[in-house]
Amino acid sequence: MAPDALKIAEIWVYLSGSPLFALILTLTAYQIGHWCYLKTDKYPLFNPVAIAVLLVAICLFVVDMPYQTYFQGAQFVHFLLGTATVSLAVPIYRGMSSLKARLIPLLVALLCGGVVSIVSAVGVATFLGADATIIGAFYAKSVTAPIAMGVAERLGVSPTLTAVFAIVTGILGAMLGSTILNLLGMKQWWQRGFAMGTAAHGIGTSRAFAVHPEAGTYASLAMGLHGILGALLIPLLKNYL
Amino acid sequence: MISGLVQILLWQGLGELVSHFLLPIIPGPVLGLIFLLVYLLIKGRVNASLSLVSDAFSQHLGVLFIPAAVGVVLFLPQLRAHAWSVIAALVVSVVSTITVTAVVLRFMAKGDSSGS
Repeated sequence: MAPDALKIAEIWVYLSGSPLFALILTLTAYQIGHWCYLKTDKYPLFNPVAIAVLLVAICLFVVDMPYQTYFQGAQFVHFLLGTATVSLAVPIYRGMSSLKARLIPLLVALLCGGVVSIVSAVGVATFLGADATIIGAFYAKSVTAPIAMGVAERLGVSPTLTAVFAIVTGILGAMLGSTILNLLGMKQWWQRGFAMGTAAHGIGTSRAFAVHPEAGTYASLAMGLHGILGALLIPLLKNYL
Repeated sequence: MISGLVQILLWQGLGELVSHFLLPIIPGPVLGLIFLLVYLLIKGRVNASLSLVSDAFSQHLGVLFIPAAVGVVLFLPQLRAHAWSVIAALVVSVVSTITVTAVVLRFMAKGDSSGS
């Protein structure tokens, strides 16, 4: 009995010391999350990232592994965020053809939406007495998560909290979006999609694609433009506020 | 596929360099995105290898922010203490952002009746 336990402990020490464990954990958790998402017919609450984060967190707690150790292995996945951000240029480029005719209305709406998303979140959180770490993480939360985290780093606020708020924002936007737009009596698909993409980035965009392809195209355009403009303007806005 | 990945990594590298030496306020990958976008606009088309890599990334973008998002475990006590203000801020912000964007867009696009 004892030698067996020793052997298992040895294997465990070996595995947890290499990046393999963190990588397997991350990808398996995402796979399970993605499966749940497909099984529930892409219901926003069953967001694959949210499920995966929950599973990984539980797993780390169970095996008593500190987050820093996990991140050392998972940083290889994390690194690709930058590369994925650059590759967002391709979908933005594809959406550009529809942009030209409606450039001014789209940009004005995006700027108004972007400013409102920051001012309302920071305002409500400040009013209700949240602390500075949390408030700082609200600045970039409506921007697509990979860009939001880069912006958060430059602002000197927590990229982690920003990413988590961005994901929750996306889920909320995807869940509430259709109801809000119906209440407002919005009929044009492109306007509905653009509003979803502005407020709820990637998660809202995939929701918009599920509802109507034109809404989806405009949502991904909104997400891309919000990402670029956010990265350029949010640091300026934060200094000003 | 490899040539697409190489292109993206080169643009990312250029973005990082410019960010580091010239424009420290903008993250390197975002500059890389802008450079690649300008390049595509000049060239006028996306080659197959590049769109293959880009589609693979955007389809499963979510998996890439799991490592950072799991860091939320470090903030749990803080989040628990401020749970209501966080939830209120997020919900109010989402509702008002969608509302303002949609209403401004409808107002600005009144003349646009193509409806496509």
